[in-house]
Amino acid sequence: MPPRLDTLAKGHEFPATHFELSAEWVEEYAAAVEDEAIGLLGPELVPPMAVAALAVRALLERAALPPGAVHIGQEMTFRRAARVGERLSASARVVSRGERQGWLLMGIDLSVDGEGGPRMEGRATLTMPVAEERP
Amino acid sequence: MTSPAVGTELAPVVVALTQEKINRYALAGGDGNPLHTDPQFAAQTQFGGTIAHGMLLLAYLSRMLTAAFGEAWLRGGRLKVRFRAPARPGDTVSAVGRVVRAESGRTVCAVECRNQAGETLVSGEAEVTA
Repeated sequence: MPPRLDTLAKGHEFPATHFELSAEWVEEYAAAVEDEAIGLLGPELVPPMAVAALAVRALLERAALPPGAVHIGQEMTFRRAARVGERLSASARVVSRGERQGWLLMGIDLSVDGEGGPRMEGRATLTMPVAEERP
Repeated sequence: MTSPAVGTELAPVVVALTQEKINRYALAGGDGNPLHTDPQFAAQTQFGGTIAHGMLLLAYLSRMLTAAFGEAWLRGGRLKVRFRAPARPGDTVSAVGRVVRAESGRTVCAVECRNQAGETLVSGEAEVTA
């Protein structure tokens, strides 16, 4: 069972997670978001938000979201187009953590690398109720 | 692909959001937070019902930007947004954008997702480097 996100301190680094952009998964993702635009560019290209989604999925395998957690902001930069079949690695780090009026605000940096260099990087900002009991 | 001029409205992406689509994204994205997929759980939260994943709304923005800028969006796009209000099943979500600056090979767009009432769900900026 992964630790809850709200128990992690600023500076916590998540172990890198490796994943593959399989054709089946890319097709499933593109269908879920109804992305017809990417197919017009080339059948081997992957929607950039799919890479971001996999990075978030990797993060969620390393830390459980507490009930009531809400995504309030997102920054991302795409460095290079990802292609079907690529193997990527995602890493993440808690870069900010603060409390205000019973809510915890956390910033998490995400980065995804592949062969030949980075694919994307970004920062997710989440808020969640402050837990009554602390670790 | 030629960069659009300042003031150009990007071709919008309009999606009729359903719980089925949210569930499908939850499976593909591996984000099974019950706030998105469990109506009974979500009814007890501050939102009073299920809401779409923020990343699903960003996928609609990205689809619009891919159509407008092609591969330049995939290899040099930047997006910075705030989530302003939840998107709910039954909403019609429109991802819209307008070019606000174009200089030195950089094109900056104001982007938003809105619901059928015109309420802003997501707002921010997207930047593409040619």
